[in-house]
Amino acid sequence: MTVVLSVRGLTAGYGKIQALKGVSLDVEEGGIACLLGPNGAGKTALMFALTGILKAQEGSVTLRGAEIKGLAPHHIVESGVALVPENRLVFPSMTVLENLRAGAYCRSGKGEIDADLAKMLSTFPRLQQRSQQLAGTLSGGEQQMLAVARAMMSRPKLLLMDEPSIGLAPLVVAEIFRIITQVSRQGVTIFLVEQNVHMALKIASHFYLMEQGKVIFSGDPKTAMEDDVIQRAYLGSSAAQHRQGA
Amino acid sequence: MTAFGDIAQTTIDGVAAGALYALFALGFTMIFGVIRRANLAYGSSVMLGLYVATLAWMTFDISIVLCFAIASAVAIAAGLYVQMLCFPSRAADRQQPNDAHRLMVSVAASFAVWMQLEELATLNMPAHLYPFPALAGDAVIELVGLSIRSDALIVLVSALAVCAALYLTLYRTRFGLGIRATVDLPRAASVVGINVSGVFRKAFVIAAIVGTIGAFVACATAEQLTPKLGMWLTLKAMLAMMVGGLGSLRGAVVAGVALGVLEAHVQRHFGPQLRDASTYLVLFAVLAWRAWRPGAATQFGVGVLGGRGVR
Repeated sequence: MTVVLSVRGLTAGYGKIQALKGVSLDVEEGGIACLLGPNGAGKTALMFALTGILKAQEGSVTLRGAEIKGLAPHHIVESGVALVPENRLVFPSMTVLENLRAGAYCRSGKGEIDADLAKMLSTFPRLQQRSQQLAGTLSGGEQQMLAVARAMMSRPKLLLMDEPSIGLAPLVVAEIFRIITQVSRQGVTIFLVEQNVHMALKIASHFYLMEQGKVIFSGDPKTAMEDDVIQRAYLGSSAAQHRQGA
Repeated sequence: MTAFGDIAQTTIDGVAAGALYALFALGFTMIFGVIRRANLAYGSSVMLGLYVATLAWMTFDISIVLCFAIASAVAIAAGLYVQMLCFPSRAADRQQPNDAHRLMVSVAASFAVWMQLEELATLNMPAHLYPFPALAGDAVIELVGLSIRSDALIVLVSALAVCAALYLTLYRTRFGLGIRATVDLPRAASVVGINVSGVFRKAFVIAAIVGTIGAFVACATAEQLTPKLGMWLTLKAMLAMMVGGLGSLRGAVVAGVALGVLEAHVQRHFGPQLRDASTYLVLFAVLAWRAWRPGAATQFGVGVLGGRGVR
């Protein structure tokens, strides 16, 4: 398997607070890599550092071997990394269609963009129905779909997703996870941050545990389900009981 | 002249003046929309351009077109200088710590630069009045009993043209999409790969051009240039923007024209002393109304210097 994203010793912070204290990890091509960890572990900071929005200090970030650390956010998007940010961050007073067009901002070629736009709308019929509606008036689930579709409009090699299921009803969460696997099957590598550990581990091909600004464990999701220590520390005892019951 | 004719004539004069206010407000709103901060140095950067232009005109007797080109170029340079100094692009990121603090620093810094640019102009050209090239002379066009000065017509036409051009740029181009996205949610604009600092600079450039068009036409109509221009421009722009709803381009145009018409009527009936007072009274009423609406007070209170509400 080839490595799409390789991170070595990455540090970054907000002001005096050091959020990332030397993160190292590899994301392999074609899979769904999942990043787990408690609140404040630095997961969102890592997403912003990878996309250049949070300025990375030391270390390196390479995308298919090319260094992208230190590039401006728009150059990182151009090089093929797209982010579905935490809390979706759709443009609230712009229409669904305009949001999608903004997603393709870094691309040129009107014909191709229009074709992708049509493809996105057929993939997400809900967005088709609401294409002229302001994104701020959509439901949480629809906004999440829009955020994913917007990110896909840049034709990314690597799609970063920061807690796509946060604040959504269980049925909608299932729908979002269905969309994630669908996107993955189209050949886009996915690097996913999730609080919903069970759902995430079900679709993940690889996972990392992050704590206090460092990746402290990485492995196969199947063995993680077996591992007692990880069960208790990260999946909660109720989860362990749930597994025993099943 | 009939009573109706009198009202119509005053209204026409008011619309011509108001069209200028609308242009100033458009430039000011452009910057406010993108950075969510009031750029107090806006008027003085435009003024500096006109000072340099009229100096060149007096010295070398250049054409009015070249005069305008010089005024725009200097205003753009001054605008970018203000942006670099007072409104660096990181300031747009509302997730940065100490945001309220940064906001005050930016606005206070722009006040300092206002003084600096104005001093730069007035220390080098200390007279109270300078001549300014005339645009169209005093030809008067008569139409169904109403008269309109040809330069007032030019004011109206250029204001309309600028509004149309700005609208088409914002809503029909990729460049406009980038600006609107940045205005809507700066953090998300970075996420989709819009160069936010580039958008910042572009907003200042557009504002400088729009402001220069307005101020140039105003000075060419009056055929003179005074050191009060900078303050006058910033105040009228802020007034129109605040009355029109912060950050709303459409509101800025409507409020600018409305304030012009109001001023014209007040001056006609109550004299020039009450003219300026009338617009401040309107602003006071608008602010008071917003403040008394439950829940809107803090939002708008912050809004005068920054805050949301950008469309």
